[in-house]
Parts: sequence; C-alpha cells; structure tokens
Amino acid sequence: MEDQGQYAKLFNEMDSQALITLGLILVSTILLIIVSQRGLNWVANRLHGQVRFRVFALVPLTRLLILIAALAIAVPIIIEPSLRNMVTLLGAIGLAIGFALKDYVSSLIAGVVSAVELPYRPGDWVNIEGTYGEVKHVGMRTVEVQTPDDDLVAVPHLKLWDTAIYNANNGGTSLQCVASFYLHPEHEAGWVRKALRDVALTSAYLKFGEPIIVVAEEKPWGTHYRIRAYPVDPRQQFLFITDLTVRGKAVLSAAGIQPALLPPDAALDARGAAS
Amino acid sequence: MAQGSTNAALSPWNVVALDTFQTPERTQASQWRRSWRAATTWMIGKEASERQAKQESELRALPEVKLAHVAPPIDWMPATERLKQALKGYEDAPVVLFISPPYGGHSTVVSQWAAQQDIPCLTVPTLKELVDGSLAWVEDATQLKRWAIPALEYHFLRHTNGLQSVRELLERALSGRLGQSVMGCDSWTYAYLQHAVGLEGVPVLTLQGLEGEQLAHYFSQAAGECPTVYSTRTGKSILTSDSDQKEAYKELQRLAAHCRGHLGIAWHYWRERLREPAEDSDSSDNNGHKCSDKEDSDTSQELWLLDALAEAELPTDTGDLATLLLHTLLIHGGLEDHALKHVLPFSDHESLNARFALARRGILSSQQGRWQVAPLSYASVRQLLESRNYLVDPL
Repeated sequence: MEDQGQYAKLFNEMDSQALITLGLILVSTILLIIVSQRGLNWVANRLHGQVRFRVFALVPLTRLLILIAALAIAVPIIIEPSLRNMVTLLGAIGLAIGFALKDYVSSLIAGVVSAVELPYRPGDWVNIEGTYGEVKHVGMRTVEVQTPDDDLVAVPHLKLWDTAIYNANNGGTSLQCVASFYLHPEHEAGWVRKALRDVALTSAYLKFGEPIIVVAEEKPWGTHYRIRAYPVDPRQQFLFITDLTVRGKAVLSAAGIQPALLPPDAALDARGAAS
Repeated sequence: MAQGSTNAALSPWNVVALDTFQTPERTQASQWRRSWRAATTWMIGKEASERQAKQESELRALPEVKLAHVAPPIDWMPATERLKQALKGYEDAPVVLFISPPYGGHSTVVSQWAAQQDIPCLTVPTLKELVDGSLAWVEDATQLKRWAIPALEYHFLRHTNGLQSVRELLERALSGRLGQSVMGCDSWTYAYLQHAVGLEGVPVLTLQGLEGEQLAHYFSQAAGECPTVYSTRTGKSILTSDSDQKEAYKELQRLAAHCRGHLGIAWHYWRERLREPAEDSDSSDNNGHKCSDKEDSDTSQELWLLDALAEAELPTDTGDLATLLLHTLLIHGGLEDHALKHVLPFSDHESLNARFALARRGILSSQQGRWQVAPLSYASVRQLLESRNYLVDPL
C-alpha cells in the first residue's frame, strides 16, 4: 500500500484541463509531423542537385525535433520533473522495454541516431545487406528503400548497430557508376582504353568535374575493362551505365575487337575444376 | 578628353581575356528574382504576380520598319576592330580563341577579322564527315600558314568519332605545326572541349559583360535619335539619366543582369519586348492617372519595354529528355534534326518529339535549319542546367 502511494506521488493530479492539454499536444504533434514530412518531401521532390538532398536530410531531423519538443511540454504535465521522479520512471520503463520490446525500441533509438549521424537520408542510394536502392523515407522505426525493380523494402534501423551500410552518394549528387567490358585477350589495350574514355566523355549523362577512370584487369579468359564515371544525377545511374555499355560495345565492335569467348564465371569455374 | 574617356567606358566592345570577364552587378539577384517569379507565378498565377504600371493590352508590337529603325541589327564591326587590337598581344600564340555565348557574335567577328586580314577560313565539315571521323577537313589547314575558324562548334560532334577530328586539329594547331590561327567558338562548346580535349594555356578572349548604363548608351546610339522608352513595370523612362543615374538605369541593369551582360541576348530582348501605345488607348495608366515621368513627352515617339522577366519560363519539373536535349543543343551551338540521333541516347522519335514540344513552347528557335535555345529563353535554360549540375559555359 505504501509502495502504491509512493508511485502515485510520481504523477501529477490529472484533471480534465491536463487531459485536454495532453490531447492537444498529441494531436498537434501528429499534425505537425505529417505536415512537415509531407511538405518537405514534396518540396525536395521538386528540387534538383545538392539542395534536394539538403531538404531531404531535414525530414527525419524535423520529426525528431518535433517529438522532443512535444515530450518536453507533455512530461511536466504528467509527472513532477524532479531527478528522483525521472530516475524512478525511466527505470521502470527501461525494465519493461528490456523484457518485452527490446528490438522495437532498439530500432526507435537507432532511428534517432540515424537522424543525427545521417548514415542515410532520403535520396541516398544505399546497400543494406544486399538490398540496393534509393532511400525514399526515413521513418521512426524503419528506412524505406525503393529498389531498381520498384520494390519498396522496409529495413529496420536496428541494422545500424551491426551491419555495414554502403551509401553510394552520401547526401551528395556524385554517384560513381561502373560499366564493364569483357574482351578477348588479343587486342591493342592502349587504344581500347582511349576509346572507352571517349565513350564516357561523349555520354549525354556525364557529370563533368568528376574523374573518368578506365581500369583494365587481366584475367585468365581475357581482359576486364571498367569505365568508372559519374552521371549528372544519381537517378540516371542505370541509364548512364546502359548508355556507356551500348555505345562502348558499338565502338569496340566497329574496331573489330572480339568479346571474351567464355563468360567470366564459366571460365573461373572451369579453371577451378581443372585445378 | 573627358567625353572621350566616358565614351570609352560606355563602349560595349571591350575585348578582354576570359579570366577578367565579369557578369554585371546584380546577376545573382536576377537569378533569385527569376526563381521568385516562377514560384509566385505558380502560386498566384501569372497575371497577379506581375505588377505593371502599364498593361500589355494597351500596347502593340512595333511595325517591322519602325523596329528596324529603333533596334537595328547589331553591327559587330567595332568588336572586330577591338579583336584586331587585342590580337596584337598574342602574335606568338599558335591558337587564339574568341568565345561568346549563343547570339554573341563570335562567328561574325572572326569572319570579319579574317576577311580584313585576307586570311582563309577552314570549311565546315559535313555531318557525315564528323560521324565517320574523317580528317580530310583538318588536312586543309596543313597547307596554310595563317587560317581562321569562325565557329568551332560546327567542327565537332559529341560522338566518339566526332571528337577525333577536332582533337586532331587542336593537337596539331596547339603544337604550332599548323601555323597561326584564330578560332571563334561558342562558350558552351569551349566549356565542353576544355574537358574533352584539353585547352590549357590557350589564350581565350571574349567581350566584357555590359552594365545597364552601357546598354542604355548602346540602344540610344543604335536608334539614332534617342527615343523615349518607358518601362511597363515602373512607368519610368529607362534610357535617360536626368535623375540619379543609378536609379535611371535600374531597369536596364535588370536587363543586363538577366542577360549576364551579353549584348546579343539583350538586343533580342530589346527588339522583342519593345511596344508602342495601341491607337485606341490613351496615355493614362489603368487607374486613370498619368505616369509620373511621361506627362510632357511626345506620345508619337513614346515606346514601352515589357518586363524582361515576364517570359515563358521552363517549369521546374522539366524532364531529363528535355534537359539533355537543351544541353546538347547548347554544346553544339545548335543542331539539325537529323544530327540528334548521333548525340542523344534516345530514339529518333523521342528526340524529335522533345524538340517539337520545346519549339512549340518557344524555348527553341531555328536558324538555317539548326535548332538552338531561343534568345529569350537562354537565361532560364542556363539557370535550369546549372541548378541540375550540368556543365555550363564560363560566361
């Protein structure tokens, strides 16, 4: 009975005015979050370049600030915010969470961390455990990634703790693309290197001011060339790679350069079997 | 003497090194204003976003004869003379480039200079020669000690073969093996070739950007007797400088900033946006009040300049296809329809449909079969491309 009385002392007396205030805070918070999230996403989707990513980065941060502000207003209405009261309350909540909602709350906390550390933000192209795509929305518990196949994948923020997050453009407009060419070993490598560089230089999608690198690597089945270059907009990456591939093939074919006779996997498999 | 130095300061024909080129004052502010105008037009409509002292409905376009008198075609000969003087400082350079933006007159200036000096100009290669990577037209230069190219943008194609010949030409010319040459070049082509071929160390000249006062001086001089021109936006005279000078040329400073100081573009605005009062309209504004500056003026000589910013702007949601087409046209100094398939990653009909759509909206115009960004759309197209991280010209 005495314990019950002590816990009851934690909370303020809740009259109808306090309940109405809490209700108003709750409704306002929800409305503000919806309006800010939709508004910022709407604006960002109509922008281009670096500004787009800056506005996108504001989406989770704004939500976090609104939530903190709402909690800061609501908590003193519910409890007397003394140190003793806070420690007691947080201890009780922590105990409950530790047993029942560990992963859920861990994702929520990781969501807060993601809003501050920004390992991904809307507009980024990320790879999380093999899921590659554009970040469409950073929610409280999950990040929504749209894959090139138009699937929307919800990945819990929890992954932040123990999984590598590959971010291809990291809030910027520079995203490196790679187009591969597998050629028969007998060809003039210097000419191919120049020709492939020209293929990149003459692409309509090319972003100037970023390096264009042609990498050649000798393999048992031939030579593997890669053009590494950047498109003007990260969203053009697949069109850019396609353009490089189509025009690169045409140039190499016109010069009489043969592709590698065996697919790389088959060649490597054959080699592995032989050894 | 003082008059002479004033005239020199107001001359629009200052040929300068590219490093010293400066856009006019308030160019950045002009870009913000354009964005603001686009936003307000989207929110409250075009009519409401344009506060006008004189309504466009009270005005009419000038007859062609009067227009030819008030805004005659630009005579580029003074620029040619200034280029000739400037080239004296580069007598040892194997190649000198003279660049200007679209409609900036580089081709005419270099042609006139070459004719004055009795220097041959290289023939423009055909599209087939460019697509095949033919070097035949480059060989023509090997026979000459001095030669010129009025428009380098017509000597290349953004195509793996189309780059070969211009690269060969520039490599030979820059090494001094082809004697001495002067090349006129579109500023967008220059920006592209600088990355694709490399033009480090080549002397590059251009016309200095004009301020509003220089534009006022040029338009007054070109018209012979100075007409009285009012701004439909403010209702104030824009060519005279009776009052505080800065205030008097504010409207033309807006125009200069909008055009980034390029006379060729500004001239098109001047020509396209000049109006005279319609016969059935009196000289009062829509509230029935006389405009302050024009109470005593002769209405037969009265002309009005429509707001330069009240042009069809490109919507912010312009798609990739249109954006790539616009950029491609600028880099090539305009292209014919049948060349588009060689430089764009789209099918023929996609490219043509995009070209048709842009031409219908007045964003593109055709000159001798070549489609290019229309002069009145140039500023907004450049701003759009810059905002989307496309390569833009240095002017």
